[in-house]
Amino acid sequence: MGEELRTTLVDRLGAIAAKAVAYTLMILFTVMTLYPIFWLVMNSFKSTKEFQVSQLSMPVEPTLSNYVEAWKMGDFALLFPNSILYTVGATLGIVLVSLLAGFAFAKIGSRATKPIYNSFVIGILITAQSLMIPLFLEVNLLGIYNTRIAVLLVYIGTGLPLGVYLATEYIRSIPNALIESARIDGAGFFRIFWKIVLPMAMPVAVTLSILNISNIWNEFALINILVSRTELKSLPLGIYKFSGSLSTDYGKQFAALTIGMIPMLLFYIIFRRQITKGVAAGAVKG
Amino acid sequence: MKRTIMATIMIAVAVAGGFAQEKVTLNVMNYQQADQSGYAEDVAIWEKFQKDNPAITLNIEILFNDPYHQKLQAYAAAGTLPDVFYVWPGARSAVIHEKKLAKDLNQLLGASYLKDFSAAATNPANQLGRYMAMLPQSYTYTSVMYVNTKLLADNGFKPPKTYADLKKMVPKLKAKGIAVAMLPNKDAWPMQSCLFSTVVGRMAGDAFIDSILAGKAKFTDKPFVASLQVIADLYKDGIFSREDVQVGYGEAAGMFASGKAAIYIDGDWRVGAYITDKASGKALIAPAAQDKDFALMPFVSIPGEKNPGVLSAVAGTGWAVSGSLATGSAKEKAAVKLIQYLYSPEVQAIRFGTGAFVPTRKGVKAAVEPLVAKVPLFYAENAKTSYVVDGVLDPAVYNVINDGLIAIGLGTKTPAVVAAETQKAFESWTASRK
Repeated sequence: MGEELRTTLVDRLGAIAAKAVAYTLMILFTVMTLYPIFWLVMNSFKSTKEFQVSQLSMPVEPTLSNYVEAWKMGDFALLFPNSILYTVGATLGIVLVSLLAGFAFAKIGSRATKPIYNSFVIGILITAQSLMIPLFLEVNLLGIYNTRIAVLLVYIGTGLPLGVYLATEYIRSIPNALIESARIDGAGFFRIFWKIVLPMAMPVAVTLSILNISNIWNEFALINILVSRTELKSLPLGIYKFSGSLSTDYGKQFAALTIGMIPMLLFYIIFRRQITKGVAAGAVKG
Repeated sequence: MKRTIMATIMIAVAVAGGFAQEKVTLNVMNYQQADQSGYAEDVAIWEKFQKDNPAITLNIEILFNDPYHQKLQAYAAAGTLPDVFYVWPGARSAVIHEKKLAKDLNQLLGASYLKDFSAAATNPANQLGRYMAMLPQSYTYTSVMYVNTKLLADNGFKPPKTYADLKKMVPKLKAKGIAVAMLPNKDAWPMQSCLFSTVVGRMAGDAFIDSILAGKAKFTDKPFVASLQVIADLYKDGIFSREDVQVGYGEAAGMFASGKAAIYIDGDWRVGAYITDKASGKALIAPAAQDKDFALMPFVSIPGEKNPGVLSAVAGTGWAVSGSLATGSAKEKAAVKLIQYLYSPEVQAIRFGTGAFVPTRKGVKAAVEPLVAKVPLFYAENAKTSYVVDGVLDPAVYNVINDGLIAIGLGTKTPAVVAAETQKAFESWTASRK
């Protein structure tokens, strides 16, 4: 009996110690993630002089003028709608085309399937930097330089390699019997896609959306090459105006960075359940 | 009747004149950062031109830092350069100079216009392509000692003139937590550009660098190793703190202004960081203090220097006109008009006033804050200049020097090792060009 009690006590203490370590680590990582955000927001309410004197304390004379000035100087009123259009438009495009292509590659076999599929997937290895000048030449040749359609097409194109890969692998796990019985019942490929594949592939669609929304919202290198008119630019280009190595006005710089960060934070807060579920579901196929 | 005829003629002349003035759109690439001092003034400069020239529509693209250069590179590759754009006289804008993508401003603007600029600015030898692809707005001294004379006086010191003067300050200032001199080097280029180039100029001279480029001398030779040794000694003797290697370029100006160092070493352009920002009305150093408590001085004399008083300097940035504009076209005329406006006494006075630079245009006067007013005096008192290392060497070579200077700052490499690595990089670069 005494021996049993001792074992139970040791087990309990072990469990408590393990919990304590786990919680300490989790708290540590939470602080490491949240503190930089808190620091940025806190300092965005300080004047540059106050920031330089004290970078760690709360603002003594909090000011909103950094936000007003940054909003005006960064042309954020023009850039915000563009960012929303590019992010939503390109994400929808990537998800739809990836699922359609994924369905074709996974379930409609032909001799061309493998080479075409591989030509998509190899794109995962190509960096945006190496595409910059060829893409610039291409959009000029097509006469779509400085247009929203060029940005959308390039974003959809660059998002497809990963999208097609994930969608194909996911759709491969949908039983062939489902597709075959639908075919026997007389359904065409488009009908099978809309009625069977699309509803079953929602988890991977959510995963693709999450990945692309944050990528496109923050994308800088390609849009810098694709447009020159301010009214076509996106938020990261506006924010970049405030982040050079010679900058002297930290207050406005931090306000601009906070403005750019808020939509992504809101996106996470509103959709956190779907995001967690989507990532988990999309990560393990089937 | 007579009056009516006169009025009709006048209206007809005015209308005809209006039609004769052809509408032109100019694509311009401007290099502008929104949170830098002088931003509001820059915006106003462009607005004024647009207002005064309704027949010319400016299509301005604004970028800064690497994205500016990436975009310029893309435009150059596609053959779609903007009509007027901002360029560097050296390697930073190599594609423009080497492929001669900009018009020769010597021909476009003419000698009668260029006579109002300093000889250094209009000398084609100061540009990479050896022709006037751009007109430098400034001739920049990359090495200036910003001295907090009040802080020194409060501690019983006079502004330093020799290396020994600096060394003497170390114990007392260090005990109070004040650095004798500060040169932030996290970004790798500041040490090379703002001090090492001057040290090489003093210890070795431009002729030595020319000899290296001609293959007649080596980086492992004594003058270059001795120059690296000066930097190593500055850290070893406690004049620089090794922690400065981790300080970002943007942070240091504020640290100096708040009294964390007695001396700050940077280029002359950095005066702009200390003066009053027109938008916010705030200054890192108040004008009265700029006048009384701060001085701009040349780096102290170094034991063993061959060229005393020499300071590194280079032609500054400026505007260029695309080589693709048809000669004599309305667009070319509009571009010339814009260039002449950007270099006008009026605009250059505004730039001078913001502390951006001291103009190469002669006789520009402006109501400037005391620290800015000290820059032309500094030029006059320090006329002897030398190369800036990254202005004459290829990035493949000067990046090795930049990294080596960081290693020396951290105490992880000796001057001899850095010199050997530089020579190796130079030989690889030379071989790759054959």
